[in-house]
Amino acid sequence: MSDFLYPFLDGVGPDVPALLDDLASSAQAKAAISDALRAETLEREATLITATADAMAARFDAGGRLFTFGNGGSSTDAASVAVLFAAPPRGGPLPARCLADDTAVLSALGNDVGFELVFSRQLIAHARAGDIALGLSTSGGSRNLLAAFREARQRDILTIGFAGYDGGEMARSGDVVHCLVVRSDSVHRIQETQGALAVALWSAVQSRLSRDEAARA
Amino acid sequence: MGAAGQGVPMSTTGSTTNGPTESRSPGTIDELGGDLAVAALAVARRFSAGATMWCVGPVWTEHARHVAVEFVHPVIVGKRALPALTIDSPDPVAALRPMAASGDVLVLVGDASTPGARDLLRRADAWGLTTVWCGAGDRAPAGSAHHVLWTDGDPAARHDGSVVRLYHLLWELTHVCFEHAAVLTPADVGPGEVCLTCSDEGRPGEVLSVDDQGMAAVRTAGGVETVDTTIVAPVGTGDLVLIHAGTAIAVLDEP
Repeated sequence: MSDFLYPFLDGVGPDVPALLDDLASSAQAKAAISDALRAETLEREATLITATADAMAARFDAGGRLFTFGNGGSSTDAASVAVLFAAPPRGGPLPARCLADDTAVLSALGNDVGFELVFSRQLIAHARAGDIALGLSTSGGSRNLLAAFREARQRDILTIGFAGYDGGEMARSGDVVHCLVVRSDSVHRIQETQGALAVALWSAVQSRLSRDEAARA
Repeated sequence: MGAAGQGVPMSTTGSTTNGPTESRSPGTIDELGGDLAVAALAVARRFSAGATMWCVGPVWTEHARHVAVEFVHPVIVGKRALPALTIDSPDPVAALRPMAASGDVLVLVGDASTPGARDLLRRADAWGLTTVWCGAGDRAPAGSAHHVLWTDGDPAARHDGSVVRLYHLLWELTHVCFEHAAVLTPADVGPGEVCLTCSDEGRPGEVLSVDDQGMAAVRTAGGVETVDTTIVAPVGTGDLVLIHAGTAIAVLDEP
């Protein structure tokens, strides 16, 4: 019977339990790598997280708003960051919006002026001096992010980048004032730790704002 | 399978407590590893048989989109692009009803309080979909989906990468399964699959229409069936019923 069903296995049926064991072990190993990368990144970037949060808090305090962006999975992570700041699980809401959320705007800009400009053109339309631009890329080389950061720098918009690998062009260009790098070459593991960075940053911003508020009281 | 999907074979942790799982330290995923393995094999089998994956995040919209883009546009060059679509609608049941087919996969992403989750998952089950629920925090009720993939975490877990990791791992393991062609066609009912031939407890179905004799057209995993509803009358369009031997033996309560 199994010869007929699985001729390529020479009569041996598929060893489902063994495969499931392998899959479970693989998941556990990947999760352990993910945990280690998260811990190592949060520790290495601790000083930069604090400095970035202070700069963001100062901007929020002065009426600044946060604009987030990214491509593909990173566009959804950018949406997550915007929701985290605007509708937080604790603490007060802060003005934040993801520039990858609107298909009509993205496709209009992509079709009419090119995909490289889909975020920079939105910053030109929406952002003003004192705002914050936060872009997420795993490679650190997404051209539409680099264009957006370049535009933001010219407009006194605070630039924050989340990158992976060695930080790529985002770390080298000089247009990203605060570049937080997840040193890994796995897109998945980078995105997971970028989530942890976002929460660390948000948490530090919340602490800073409440500390400043208490000091003024 | 049992009422309200409660008889659906569950992944290993499906029967554990519903409350917060503080006893498990974050990052310990011994049980989750097993859950992921079983879910990935079920999903790979469904894709191999031509399934579409429907991704729904009634509140966690960003995660539903992330799941779909993972499967459609793999980050690893050479991996198969798979049909996954986000349902972006305030009424995902109405959006899915004409689109989803028996044998498809539903991935719901959201915490245990996601509005409409129970109704969506029960209807998807009745239509013959394999259901996967990814979430964080207080655990979804046991039996609420065929596969419950859960991570501990505080209220910020939605954003801290731990939910993303759940479906990243699901994607990675699903593609490992594709490398083992022999396991993709189950010789028998595999873990996480629903046995339709030993339906002593009854199979769920959604009533499409009822005539004045109490005979109803009911949508089930096997297609549209004619079912005698007189013993549970009155039933109406949209009601979920349990079917046994051509007869509706119970109406599932409103979620």
